[in-house]
Amino acid sequence: MTNLLILLLLPFVGAISVFILGKLNSKLAFWGAELIGLTLFLITLKLYFDFSEPLNMPFTWFHLASLEIPFGIYVDELSLVMLLIATGLGFLDIHFAHDYMAKDPFKPRYYAKVLFFIGGMILLVSAKDMVSLFTGWELMGLASYLLISFWHEKKEPADAGMSAFLFTRFGDIFLFAAIGMLFYLTSSLDLLHLNTLASSGEIDKNMMYLISLFIFIAAIGKSGQFPLFPWLMRAMEGPTTVSALIHGAIMVNSGIYIVARLFDFYVAAQTLIVVAAFGAISAFIGATSALVQTELKKVLAYSTMSHLSLAFIGLGAGSLAAGMTHLVNHAVFKALLFLGAGAVMISASHVKNMWRFGAYSKKILFVSIAMAFGALSLSGLPPFSGFYSKDTIIATTLLNPQTKGLISTLTLIAGVLSVAYISRLWLLTFSGKNRDAALFAKVKKPSFFWIILPLLIMAVATFLMGFTQEGIAKLVSGSDFQKPHVEGLVFGLLSAITLIFIIIYYYYVKRLDITKKLQHKP
Amino acid sequence: MSAIEIIFMPMVLALVLSFFLRSKAYINKYISLFLFIYMLGFSVSLFKKLPDEGYLQLGSFLDVSRFDFVLTLQVDLLSTIMLTLTAVLLILVTLSSWSMPKQGMYFNLLIAFSGSIFGVFMSTNFLWFFIFWELTLVPMYFLIGIWGAQKRVYAAVKFFLYTHLASMLILLAFFLIYKESGVFDMSLVKESMLMSPVLIWWLLFLGFAVKMPIFPFHTWLPDAHVQAPAPISVLLAGVLLKMGAYAMIRMVIVMLPETSQQYAWVVLILGLISMFYAGFMAIYETHLKKMVAYSSISHMGLVVIALSTMSYSGLSAALYEMIGHAFIIAPLFLIAGFLHQKTGSWYMKDMGGIMQKAPYISAIFILAGLGALGLPSTMGFIGELSILISSIQNFGLWMALVALSSMLGAGYMIWTFRRVIYGEMSASVKKSNFIMHPIEFLALVIFAFFIIVFGLFPNLLFEYINPAFSQFELL
Repeated sequence: MTNLLILLLLPFVGAISVFILGKLNSKLAFWGAELIGLTLFLITLKLYFDFSEPLNMPFTWFHLASLEIPFGIYVDELSLVMLLIATGLGFLDIHFAHDYMAKDPFKPRYYAKVLFFIGGMILLVSAKDMVSLFTGWELMGLASYLLISFWHEKKEPADAGMSAFLFTRFGDIFLFAAIGMLFYLTSSLDLLHLNTLASSGEIDKNMMYLISLFIFIAAIGKSGQFPLFPWLMRAMEGPTTVSALIHGAIMVNSGIYIVARLFDFYVAAQTLIVVAAFGAISAFIGATSALVQTELKKVLAYSTMSHLSLAFIGLGAGSLAAGMTHLVNHAVFKALLFLGAGAVMISASHVKNMWRFGAYSKKILFVSIAMAFGALSLSGLPPFSGFYSKDTIIATTLLNPQTKGLISTLTLIAGVLSVAYISRLWLLTFSGKNRDAALFAKVKKPSFFWIILPLLIMAVATFLMGFTQEGIAKLVSGSDFQKPHVEGLVFGLLSAITLIFIIIYYYYVKRLDITKKLQHKP
Repeated sequence: MSAIEIIFMPMVLALVLSFFLRSKAYINKYISLFLFIYMLGFSVSLFKKLPDEGYLQLGSFLDVSRFDFVLTLQVDLLSTIMLTLTAVLLILVTLSSWSMPKQGMYFNLLIAFSGSIFGVFMSTNFLWFFIFWELTLVPMYFLIGIWGAQKRVYAAVKFFLYTHLASMLILLAFFLIYKESGVFDMSLVKESMLMSPVLIWWLLFLGFAVKMPIFPFHTWLPDAHVQAPAPISVLLAGVLLKMGAYAMIRMVIVMLPETSQQYAWVVLILGLISMFYAGFMAIYETHLKKMVAYSSISHMGLVVIALSTMSYSGLSAALYEMIGHAFIIAPLFLIAGFLHQKTGSWYMKDMGGIMQKAPYISAIFILAGLGALGLPSTMGFIGELSILISSIQNFGLWMALVALSSMLGAGYMIWTFRRVIYGEMSASVKKSNFIMHPIEFLALVIFAFFIIVFGLFPNLLFEYINPAFSQFELL
């Protein structure tokens, strides 16, 4: 209990103290943040290993006449997994920022906001009821706004921050409305209680349908799904470490988390098919858009959109375990890829355009290896973690009669296309010939301890997690999980992956001249 | 000091100061600060003395029994909360006017205002209520007309005429009540005594609606706010508007519950229109202070929606939102005024990049703006959440559209941040320095502190707010 309270309060207290300390000496800001990040992760680990039964802390926030507005905390296995992602990747991200933000004069502000961001996510995933969830949800939205427009004196980041806030806020008001409606219908805001009430059919069916759609709109906004996704790409204007946090560890996961948390509610409301349909559209848009981006980070941003949609599809096809394991795997490899992109950008004087890279594995070998691990996991190659969950999701959509057909086809296309864009990214950056000799000559080796080490840790994690997928599935869904089996699917996927890789290799390495001619702006 | 002295002493003091101590005008701000702190102490001490239910008698005065002209002073929990809020705001307004030009007269008027506003919240006798209600206009008129911006005289006259005409309706209603019931005290009037409650309801409602203000009687407010000096805008939004809402609770909802219930839909619809119309106007507005003024009307629209529920939860939510709105809108007005003073323009296109020049002031502006858009952990969120919940409880699920107000809030606030706080510096921002008087800055910090503390621990307020209404009999 005490540990949990510390975990909830430390980020916010830490944010303030890091800011004040940083004003005295900007080095202290980093060390304070690093220390707090590590403490948060260690506390989460301790909570994880000591876990025997869910921690339940009901609080009353305030009384409105005779009504009680709750603010409860509840941590079970699902929350713990999310907490591990948020604090673990958050810590590595802070560690990485030492070099990435080295020259920035506003370090205290940066680290304070990052801790605040992590704190919002911690509150969100350990919420017991809608009000505390919404509080975490909004605080995190605020932190993302402040971080995306961190370089506020420039036009683009300021615009990007505004669009992120407004897009997510548009979704959030539906969640806000849902709080009021649920309180009226059930006079309870407890998430687990809502699940039970929904399963037992005590809430009016039509209202449940409407409310679950409202909550899903909020989830769409936060997770950057169709049609509320444009902010996700503009968010690339922020520091790359922030993009890694938004896309990997923290922000976008919350939309999927809320659907997973209210999974029984969605099952009872029969809205899962809507979730899957929107997921399929987003997966397709994301995967195809990622194919044609010229900026390193933009490819990854569209890829995030597409992969989160896969998680939504997994949930929508009725498999909590499939969706959530993919979310967990995605968090790790996407954080890895983003930080890898950050490492490339540090080495290459903050150039983002992939067409100016090439043959970088000669200079920054470790970064290229780490990113290769991330890319392999993202493309779904065994035994990496991405393979397991992606395969499961596709199999689930094929086996579910509701999603079989259009949705499963779109999922399949998006799943296979991910190989195309990620190998395009990797090959353009790390292999072939270098296309900007001046830039190439200036490439400097990143420091091992601050840059390479966190990348390697995540690379190893995404590899090792491939062997613990059953365990993760059991943690997030609370029951033993049997991987669905579709005859010939693995073989088909693997041959498609190989085929696509060969095509991409041919056009982007061997015969780059053809591809360049097709480009309007090389 | 007794209650009667709390009311009249400031008025006498203001006269004395303006006639005898004109040469030493600089001490006026210290005198007013001490006076307001004393008034705060007085209001807080009332909480201890209040009976569990009903009124605390503070004595009667000027007993002309033949005409029922008894100045009966009595307070209950609701008026005590309003008194405390007023005293806190007066202190903070004094602090934020620390470097005001022509100080002597300014603070005299403020002192005179403080007496009359305390009179409004302490008297339940209609006549005295009305006299104090009108008396607040006089110092306000001069404060806007002398210390205001370019078109101050127009704004002051418009403000005076609007609210004064509305007061005529109120006076008419008071006479009607007296004629029909023979009672001249709002705490004694019962709806059953009246023969034409509907007429009286409409007169009172329209009269108070101008003050609140509710659409379509709001047009005086953007003008008055824009022309008034920033601290006076705070008083307008924080005290004068709240006076209208207070009177609405006391004399419309509590005194005439049946008619109120009958016309609740009118109140509700006007509240919704106020909220949406003013919200859209705020998005459209490029004049910084007008934007804040419309945001203020939009939030008062939320208060009206909460009032229209005529339920305990709705009234509690309304009172909380009133207090929250006072604290949230104050730093926005003060900073808008400060930016105008420094950049010489009211328009957002002439600002931008303030964060680079004045990070702490910008941070407080952002915090207050986040309060206005209802971000959790600020007072704005608790207000909106409780209004959402209470209105859905009373009117059904379609009231979920109240949630749209936070989208409107995000629309105008975040866009304002983009145009004023973030982005590149404009020419006028580049060449001016943004140094604020430390005491005025202190006032901003105190506002920010309240916004967060009562946003995180709303029960500190609800502990007093909830019992304030439980003594009333609602339908």
